[in-house]
Amino acid sequence: MTAEPATIADEAAPASVAAVRSFLSKHRRRSWVDLYVVGFALVIVGIYSANFLATPLSRLSHPATHAAATHAAATQAVAGAGLVIGVGVGLLLLAQALGPLALSPADASWLLLTPLDRRNVLRRAALSIAGLATVAGALLGVLGLAMAGPYLRLTGSGLPGSWLFLSAVAGAGCCLAAVAGAALAQPQERPRAIIRAACVTVAVAAMAGAVAGERWSAITRAVTAVFGGLSTPVFDTAALIALVLAAVAWLLLWRRLASFPASVLRSDSARSGRALLAAQYLNFSLLFWIAEDNHWRGRLLRSRPWPKLPPALALAWADWRRLGRRPGPLVILAVGAVLPALLGAAVTGRARADLIAVGLILGAFAVGTQGTTATKRDQDDPALLRLLGVNQGQALVARAVLPSLLTSCWLAIALTVLCAVGTLSGWLWPLLGLAAGPGVAAGILRMARTARINPADRGPDTPMGNTPPWVVSRMLSVIVALIGTAPLVGALLKGDVHASTAIDQCAASVIVLWVYLMIARAMSR
Amino acid sequence: MAYGDVVVLDDVDLTVAAGEIVALTGVNGVGKSTLLTCIVGFRRPAAGTVSVLGGPPRDNAEFWRSVAIVADQPTWYPGLTVRELLELVRMTHRPLRGWCLPADELIELFGLSARADASPLSLSSGQRQRLSLAAALARPTRLLLLDEPEQSLDAGFRQELATLLREQYAANGGTLVMATHDHDFAMTAGARIVPLAEGRIAEGPNAEEPVP
Repeated sequence: MTAEPATIADEAAPASVAAVRSFLSKHRRRSWVDLYVVGFALVIVGIYSANFLATPLSRLSHPATHAAATHAAATQAVAGAGLVIGVGVGLLLLAQALGPLALSPADASWLLLTPLDRRNVLRRAALSIAGLATVAGALLGVLGLAMAGPYLRLTGSGLPGSWLFLSAVAGAGCCLAAVAGAALAQPQERPRAIIRAACVTVAVAAMAGAVAGERWSAITRAVTAVFGGLSTPVFDTAALIALVLAAVAWLLLWRRLASFPASVLRSDSARSGRALLAAQYLNFSLLFWIAEDNHWRGRLLRSRPWPKLPPALALAWADWRRLGRRPGPLVILAVGAVLPALLGAAVTGRARADLIAVGLILGAFAVGTQGTTATKRDQDDPALLRLLGVNQGQALVARAVLPSLLTSCWLAIALTVLCAVGTLSGWLWPLLGLAAGPGVAAGILRMARTARINPADRGPDTPMGNTPPWVVSRMLSVIVALIGTAPLVGALLKGDVHASTAIDQCAASVIVLWVYLMIARAMSR
Repeated sequence: MAYGDVVVLDDVDLTVAAGEIVALTGVNGVGKSTLLTCIVGFRRPAAGTVSVLGGPPRDNAEFWRSVAIVADQPTWYPGLTVRELLELVRMTHRPLRGWCLPADELIELFGLSARADASPLSLSSGQRQRLSLAAALARPTRLLLLDEPEQSLDAGFRQELATLLREQYAANGGTLVMATHDHDFAMTAGARIVPLAEGRIAEGPNAEEPVP
């Protein structure tokens, strides 16, 4: 094995990041169909978002006198403000989980540990998160103003355009400063943990205040009084402070970019790349698996004996123990049980049954998926599945227990909150939630057991392009869950519940879960 | 160097001369990979110092101009071919002076000629490992760190790679530190074996003896 060594000439043109990016984009083989699909998806998202936001934004045009005549309007203002704050800190938590400063995994592999200027390598990523933070912040600022809409003391005929603009600027500035702060804290674990704890505290306080506002008018009076005190100088000051904070934070970050640690960027970029890929394929189980992997890596645990259980239950015990060791996400999700109660009130000013139903199903999916990590892992590794040495059918039945319990409990809590705030009436609702758990669990298990994703698979053509089979598969899992909770959803839409509904729900849950387990068992043979 | 309460490396004193090949050996979990990550500054030792090419690892352009590490499977650009990827690597290291092999030469040496215009995503795991190593040799660095370079490679190519590292890379002034479980590979590469045990450099008949 011989080769002639070569020396790269000194006179070679210096490689800049711009030249490297140009090389990459020149060789990227993208067809116009990709752009079409992205554009089409953006248009659809825009249409649905505009439709969704039209109602809360219409509050900006309500006259002041029309305002607080009703308790419902005040409740909506408080719930909406709580939701805006909750969404803001939620977005910050999401940004922190993804980095917030991260390259594409390929860029992290090939451009980071090179002589290329680190700041120029990171420039695009930094500008991307700045752009996203600006848009999200401006939208949240305007939504915040919309929540205060009917209570604003207007002197003229309508809402001054400057207030709208300054709200957007203040929101964008706050978001920009928060994201830059999170990026500055990215290399050290302790500041990251502090930001996480602060976000969770603010979110819990905002949610608790919003829910309490639905019950106690003292809270709504206090909040609406603050809204009533808003004036042009207040908006000016808020926007100015937010802009100064954003400018300082981004200046510090810009200076830090030149020496941003490669090791942190490599691990965060790899994690965010996997997470975005999982999100792109609606692979929720994989998303939780990534979060788990990130949490447990490098942690020292104390071994405890495995309980004496039949083989299938012993296998399923892995998820029980994992959740027992890390109850934090479950606590957060339990707190999230107030969201269905806030969703309808905040967006439309009245409890909308369809929004509540969507919130309940999505929340139940998120909670139940916490109990399917091991199921997903085994499904992705056929060799491991064979090595388990446990009858797959029995294992599946044993593994259905935890997601069923989790979804049952969460639905019961969420429905109890809905009853407590007066959106629903009657003691049967929590029971209905308990009964609906196994029905949702069937869909969750189905999603967790979906085979490995092959992006090359092709499915039916639609106006949005080719629908990959994994999308069809995910939708089928949701449909299974909807069938399993049909009596609950029906009762929510009608706003009425009877003892017979609870019996119907029990039957639906048992039948759907049983049929799914039988089919899965037969197919795994 | 510790992970939580577990001390992985303790009192390690290792000096590698320019142009030398060193093979870190030892059982799983003994700290071979951790030592490599300490050398490039991804981890900082709780006590003691690391000096690379006359100074501490700095994680800046100057440092990465001279040092390269192949520690794990990289993520590939979906749109680039094998040849384009190697061109990209050479591009990111211009305008440097130093030893390296041209892209086409590397493709041939690493047995990737038939796949030169294919996407790395379509390669087998062994071929991807070959490409990772080829990309490492496409950079004119003075110090190269390899974490288990022999993994996924067939026995025949392991010997060819070891010869290439000895006769081409080290002979042209490059310094190589690798973590490996394959003594034959290390010996063929002419490496000084540095066995690690219980977080320290172990004493032994073959310890730190250069292979003739």
